[in-house]
Amino acid sequence: MKIKKAVITAAGEQQRLLPLQTLIDRDGEEKSVLGILIEQALAAQAEEVCVVVWPGDEARYAQAAARHLGHVRFVPQPRPLGYGHAVYCAREFVAGDAFLHLVGDHLWVRRTAGSCARDLVELAEAEQCAVSAVQVTRENFLPRYGAVGGRRIPGRQGLYRIETVIEKPTPTEAERRLTTPGLRAGYYLCFFGMHVFTPAIMDLLGRQLAEAPDARLALSPALAELARREQYLAVEEDARRYDIGARYGLLAAQLALALNGRDRAEVLAQFVELLATWETGAAAGGER
Amino acid sequence: MGDGGRGRGRAVSELIAVIASHDPAVRDRPLDSFCRGAALDRLLAECEALDQFRRASDNLYERVRALFFLYAIHRFHIPRAVAQAKRPAGAGRRIPFSGYANLLKRRFHEALDIFLAAQAADGPGPALSSALAAGYRALGFQTLADQVRRSVRSVSGNQWMFRTGHPADYPLRIRPELLARQGSDPLFPILQEATPVRMDLTHSGWSDIFFLGMDFPEGARVLNVSIDLSVRGAGTDAPRPPVEAYFRVIDQPVLRLTSVDLKAGVDIGSIAEVFDFARDYLGLLKAALIASGIVPSGMEGCNRPLAELLAKLVGLPGHGIEIVSKVNDIPKGSRLAVSTSLLSCLIAACMRATGQIHALTGGLDEEDRRLVAARAILGEWLGGSGGGWQDSGGVWPGIKLIHGVLAGEGDPEFGISRGRLLPGHKVFGTDEVSPAAREQLRQSLVLVHGGMAQDVGPVLEMVTEKYLLRSEAEWQGRREAIRILDEILDRLKRDDIRGIGARTHRNFDGPIQTIIPWAGNLYTDSLIEQARAAMGEDFWGFWMLGGMSGGGMGFLFSPQRKAAAEDRLGTIMRETKRRLEHAVPFAMDPVVYDFAINERGTASRLLSGGAALLPADYYTLAVPPLLRADSRLLSPGRRAELDRFSAACHSVPEFSGMVQRLFEHMLPRRQAGRAGQQDSLDRLLAEHGFDAVHHERIQADLRAGRIGLAQNRLPANSKIEDPAPETIFDATGCLPPRYLETGRAALADGAVAVVSLAGGVGSRWTKGAGVVKALNPFCRLGGRRRSFLEVHLAKSLRVGREAGKLLPHVITTSYLTHQAIESYLRAERNYGYPGPLLLSGGGAIGLRMTPMERDLRFAWEETPRQLLDEQAQKVQESLQATLIAWAKQAGEGGNYTDNLPLQCLHPVGHWYEVPNLLRNGTLADLLAGRPELKYLMVHNVDTAGADVDAALLGYHIEEGAAMTAEVIARHIEDRGGGLASVDGSVRLVEGLALPSEEIESRLSWYNSATYWIDIGQLLTVFGLERDDLGDAAKVAVAIRNLAARMPTYITLKDVKKRWGKGQEDVFPVAQFEKLWGDMTALPEWKCRFALVPRARGQQLKEPAQLDGWLRDGSAAYVESLCGWAVAG
Repeated sequence: MKIKKAVITAAGEQQRLLPLQTLIDRDGEEKSVLGILIEQALAAQAEEVCVVVWPGDEARYAQAAARHLGHVRFVPQPRPLGYGHAVYCAREFVAGDAFLHLVGDHLWVRRTAGSCARDLVELAEAEQCAVSAVQVTRENFLPRYGAVGGRRIPGRQGLYRIETVIEKPTPTEAERRLTTPGLRAGYYLCFFGMHVFTPAIMDLLGRQLAEAPDARLALSPALAELARREQYLAVEEDARRYDIGARYGLLAAQLALALNGRDRAEVLAQFVELLATWETGAAAGGER
Repeated sequence: MGDGGRGRGRAVSELIAVIASHDPAVRDRPLDSFCRGAALDRLLAECEALDQFRRASDNLYERVRALFFLYAIHRFHIPRAVAQAKRPAGAGRRIPFSGYANLLKRRFHEALDIFLAAQAADGPGPALSSALAAGYRALGFQTLADQVRRSVRSVSGNQWMFRTGHPADYPLRIRPELLARQGSDPLFPILQEATPVRMDLTHSGWSDIFFLGMDFPEGARVLNVSIDLSVRGAGTDAPRPPVEAYFRVIDQPVLRLTSVDLKAGVDIGSIAEVFDFARDYLGLLKAALIASGIVPSGMEGCNRPLAELLAKLVGLPGHGIEIVSKVNDIPKGSRLAVSTSLLSCLIAACMRATGQIHALTGGLDEEDRRLVAARAILGEWLGGSGGGWQDSGGVWPGIKLIHGVLAGEGDPEFGISRGRLLPGHKVFGTDEVSPAAREQLRQSLVLVHGGMAQDVGPVLEMVTEKYLLRSEAEWQGRREAIRILDEILDRLKRDDIRGIGARTHRNFDGPIQTIIPWAGNLYTDSLIEQARAAMGEDFWGFWMLGGMSGGGMGFLFSPQRKAAAEDRLGTIMRETKRRLEHAVPFAMDPVVYDFAINERGTASRLLSGGAALLPADYYTLAVPPLLRADSRLLSPGRRAELDRFSAACHSVPEFSGMVQRLFEHMLPRRQAGRAGQQDSLDRLLAEHGFDAVHHERIQADLRAGRIGLAQNRLPANSKIEDPAPETIFDATGCLPPRYLETGRAALADGAVAVVSLAGGVGSRWTKGAGVVKALNPFCRLGGRRRSFLEVHLAKSLRVGREAGKLLPHVITTSYLTHQAIESYLRAERNYGYPGPLLLSGGGAIGLRMTPMERDLRFAWEETPRQLLDEQAQKVQESLQATLIAWAKQAGEGGNYTDNLPLQCLHPVGHWYEVPNLLRNGTLADLLAGRPELKYLMVHNVDTAGADVDAALLGYHIEEGAAMTAEVIARHIEDRGGGLASVDGSVRLVEGLALPSEEIESRLSWYNSATYWIDIGQLLTVFGLERDDLGDAAKVAVAIRNLAARMPTYITLKDVKKRWGKGQEDVFPVAQFEKLWGDMTALPEWKCRFALVPRARGQQLKEPAQLDGWLRDGSAAYVESLCGWAVAG
């Protein structure tokens, strides 16, 4: 199994503008979020990237892809039928191959060198199976993420065999079905927005779509089914994920990039100055 | 099983071997069979070994069983063995106060250590053993309760709620379907949940108690049926699910809770208020909110605004939720688990609304039902109540077997208890129980509420205790009940309903009443007897619905006679209730139900748009405040609510007539009932010689703080000590023959009469229900259920027959009891008592008062009181705060008139009972009929063992005393004063008068309230001669003069106020009393004090005492004193 393709989903009605936002990347260059995501996919050895977009967004996205446009193909999601459906729209692009999947509204920042996506791809290729990056997440964040339950693979740090996948579970359900040995009580493995899927996922999504052609198609039930059918692993990721659609999400992502990048000293200095001025001003105001 | 503690003591201890054995033949060996013949030293050695074992064992049931063994040995066997061993008097007589105080604070381990140290120092004795028994028993129940609590918390799916302590961590969200409004409609959709209640075909001897299921899962089985109900003849429609819950989002940041049937609603704005259960009538809704995780348990004590949590939950700032509950005409105490069903219903709705249950509408799948059941158990615990594990059976559909399950690996109970906390449910399909059988069951069963109000709490404790002790007869009964369940199952599968009737009846007559004699009562017996007489062969059997009989019950009849049987049974119940209503506690008039088996279980639907209506009665509560408010101030949601309600009044049949009802609600007419109530109270006061001037003086003194609970006490500098042993005549053994001869001679001469004080309504006996205690058929004795009065007359009859001269027997009554006793005696033909029987009507009456806040605080905060289990204590404290607020709002010290007239009056203490004999002519009549009469034996109606003992009478005569008071050796439960040396003189002191509880614990002798009185000296102390008895004015003055020398005590009494359908509130009210024991303080009144055996002197104050009283031989002792005029 060799992974040469990547799929980025960016067709959600509320998220479609997010990949077009501009940030300063770790290397100090100004890039769109989409550009950063494509670079991550390419760094993970993908040769082609498919971006699933809201119909009509292709031109704007092409602009955002900038210099990577040659590696990118845009596929519109004709109807807003959910996340699973967006992934399914890339079935022809995937064409029976395993692929890397990144969500379009997240950025990932690692403090150490190396790329999360590349590590994930290498692991999937080594294990010859689907792998999702996960992060240990406290139960109060469960309403935001898909979560998995599984067992640790003996002798492998941070690697789990997935047994169950539930989208945004309640803590009640999580406690009953997603408790993973070795984690603290109230903590669960939640998706990190980065996966490597085998082509079987497209078959599963296709089958579910055929059963209810007009219903919204979620990804998690197909993943739960995938876990029942074949080996499906989860790997604990130590990078930080930034949901740029959340309140102050873009700012947090920008700060993370800056503090982990070339301009770290400059940004810190600006921060200190900002804080000092603010505090001094406040004190002076207080004295007055 | 754990192996801890099988070290020291094992080799010598036979009982540890019984507890730790895996062989059922050994493990189920009754404790009594070992103890019966054991000598004191052997028992003490076993106790020591068991005590070490229970400290060291890490296995729950080994610990608990050892604790109950220890309790039973100290309660039942050591006192007997001590008496046989003839230990020196005084050994083990004193109970250390520090131990007692620790017991009250629930520090059981420390209390036990103190008692054991005292036993090691002073030697064993009945008093110390009573303290040890109380400590071991309480620790046993505490250990079990702790384990249930731990198990409830550790059920997976429940744990997260205990660690969510801040709104920032709050993980639940409302489902989007409940936020989907139609167009510009400001109102959100409503989720409606409807749940059947459960009935229990056979509970296998209360095997649904959690502790039993967790230790003996094989024996924990019930056949449980989900049913819909309606009250027959109430004009309602066909049976429907009896409980409903409604859930919706609202446009205000509050939790709005409404109970339609209790007519109560509240807008909660703080997290703390959610945890304040007893503040209003909405405790059950609050428990559901917490148990469903909407306000998780971990939030208790979090001081963040509730709006913060609601914003997270709803996802829309400024919004909140509303929950409405409704019980469809089913009275409280139905034995159909209405409360737990409602709790489950509310929890199911809340969990659906927050996506914790997958299905938003329709029924539930098995996994979700179990989740709701687990949360209902949590809710029960939070609310301080305790249902059985089958009580949420209505969540499941149809007919099912609920059974205990052995704990397996992976269960949180594994290695701790044999069984799991949550039982298994096997729902029978139509292939197992045919539609024909279901229909026949419906056609045969007459389901009723007999109207009795009962507290089943003590019964559940007794069952647990007897199970753990494997008491012989009870253990056989349990096994028999298990067999009967199998037979019933078999009959059900064969469509044989008649066969089921035979077996449920056998179950009631046999195992149920063998395990708990108190499960039956005279009322139920009488109904069964009459049903059989009326319907003959067509009466197929009685069916107890769990808990106790008298409330919810079933009667099976031949299907073709069912309609007739329903009518007949309705009449029988009403007539029997009328006949017995003064003797047994009733909460309501009996009703007959229509019912249908519910084959869906709990189910919900989503109401949107114009159909999103709450129950019609909800609007009679919610609309009036909205109409009174300025419409501009109403939120858009509230305005839309009024529009929708108005539209519904025109188009929805259920809402027809609502406008009229609203008007009546907003502009109530003068309440004829209430006015009548006041008239009747005034009339009663006038009739019973209420002294308004005296009342006002008491009221003024109370308000000014001159009298009150704190002022009842003797001065703190009084020297109060245990009297020297020589001041007491020990009458516990064989008395000198000369006393017997003197006594017999007096009896033969007709010199003695008995006076039974029966003016009281047993506030503790029926928790303020206002039943005439003397008439309460409290126990089966001599083959029949007998009242206290019948027992006393039977003792007089025996003594009279033996003496050859019948004793005159006087029963003193009060305004509360006179009519009832008089008509009851007439109906029962004086219980066949052939001797002179006189009623002495009470001549004094008081009007109860709203208590003073300082007295409530004194009672609740400054006197040592039993601390309750953690959650129950929280509920109680919340209730106390509410009652203090009630007292302040109602006016402290004011007249208490907001209840039935009889509940507003009070007897003014038994001091007046003896003077009344003088005032109302009873004594004069007695003397006229029997001039040789010289002595009275006066006793309380609940001192079942008091009889005219010839030897004691002889002692009294030979001593020439004015009065001989009987005392008993104090046990730990004997609170309320006793015999003391006060500043050097020996007298009886009331508990109210003791400056501190600690002093009471130093007093070894407890007042049994039985007095031998010399009539001549009685008249002398009042300043009267025999001839003066005809001079009413002189007698009245004499009584007033002596009364003035008696202290007046202020006491708090719990009074029930009934309302709605079997609902009850209990209020503490203030009243004053003068007590006869204070006569012993008169210097000119020569008193003697005799120590009598406990079986003679013990007073029965609470029904919970009965079981021990029966088992420790006291009942048999009383039976031996009786000569029954009416055979059993």
